[in-house]
Amino acid sequence: MIQKKICMVGVFATGKTSMVRQFVFSKYSEKYHSTVGVKVDRKDVDVQGTTVRLLLWDLEGRDGHQELQTSYLRGAAGILYVVDGTRRETFDQLFELRTAVNSAIGAVPSIVAVNKADLTDQWQITDEELDTLDASQWHQLKTSAKTGQGVEETFSWLAHAMLKGGQS
Amino acid sequence: MNDRSSPAMDGSVLDVYGLTDVGRKRETNEDQFVVALMRNSLELEHTSLDDTASLNQLGQSAARLLMVADGVGGSAGGGLASRSAVEALTEYVGQTAGCYYRLDVDTEHEFLDQLEAAVRKAHERVRSHTPKGRGPATTLTMVTLVWPRGYVIHVGDSRGYHWRAGRLRQFTQDQTMSELLVDEGVMTEEQARDSGMENVLSSALGADYIPSIGLIDFRVDDVLLLCTDGLTKHVSDEEIAAILQRETTAESTCRALVDAALEGGGSDNVTVVVCRMVPPAIGLSGDSSPAS
Repeated sequence: MIQKKICMVGVFATGKTSMVRQFVFSKYSEKYHSTVGVKVDRKDVDVQGTTVRLLLWDLEGRDGHQELQTSYLRGAAGILYVVDGTRRETFDQLFELRTAVNSAIGAVPSIVAVNKADLTDQWQITDEELDTLDASQWHQLKTSAKTGQGVEETFSWLAHAMLKGGQS
Repeated sequence: MNDRSSPAMDGSVLDVYGLTDVGRKRETNEDQFVVALMRNSLELEHTSLDDTASLNQLGQSAARLLMVADGVGGSAGGGLASRSAVEALTEYVGQTAGCYYRLDVDTEHEFLDQLEAAVRKAHERVRSHTPKGRGPATTLTMVTLVWPRGYVIHVGDSRGYHWRAGRLRQFTQDQTMSELLVDEGVMTEEQARDSGMENVLSSALGADYIPSIGLIDFRVDDVLLLCTDGLTKHVSDEEIAAILQRETTAESTCRALVDAALEGGGSDNVTVVVCRMVPPAIGLSGDSSPAS
């Protein structure tokens, strides 16, 4: 079976763990548990008739301007960046995070999940700002780990991109 | 004090110790712990060569297996469950230990799979004692430390803590019914606290179990603590952090933690395993690099 490692990267409390929980277990919890180190889960998905085991490495969220612990990224075939639409700083740090990831492991397929789409009335990021991601060839999807909106599609898009070997 | 200790100061810069105590209310101790060194290395005994220091680097290929388990089930069943689980795990992990020194990006997940398979076998071993129904069960918090990475497998409500530069963080999530019901949105945290279900396990070896898997990269000066709930029932996270900060050896840290639990009431068996990542400058035998 083909196995692909995906690292979930982002600022703390953007919903990385909740996205994995929704994707793997179809569950959501309002209670916040901060991740220490890495939480590892896996899920098998079908990509055009091929079963791919996704190894999901949910990395501890970046707190302040601490360095991203790049040792966890080794061997990643794809990166899922998670932004909290209700917190502007999580978007502001995105490009810095991408630079750190690319310096550590080079360019691999990646996608940005702009999470908390169930709270769009509280968003601090405009559609115009999100368009800048498209302009820099960075695929993005609006997601809600709470309702499940966009979660399956996000992982599916990344799985396809990893198999194609694209770099988003 | 009815304690069993496992000094593990082997000359590396990992200072490890384990300690368990029956507590002040219970008559039997149903907790277990293991601190084990796994080696796959060449160690010089006698040689005519001058530069033995560089050759002894080969002797640093070592990993640590650390675990605590808290049996539940009463009437000695809990003790049987925790003992069976740690015996089985030590046996199974020992059989597959040879692969840790070959760890790389491609084999890391195989290694995690093997650790998880060992936990599954331990679960089956515990279940074999009561094939016809619900029987004793046990928690498990296990870290396989292949410096600097710790591979974590966790089931139940024993805990793992990571201390770094004065900051203590719990890296395991309690698998109890109260936590589960809060997670599912059935109860608020306040209701859960009053529900009496904070000690009812939602996942345990020997019963329904869902292992949580993770990893942590450690640094010199970090401290790793594994403990059963006999500690955390009586000693707050703030007190634990203060003890980890104050004490300077794994043994003294274990003793201070157990003493604090006993002073707090000692209502349950209490077990702790502490691993201190000692700076090279004050390494226990002057080693210049962390055990790898």
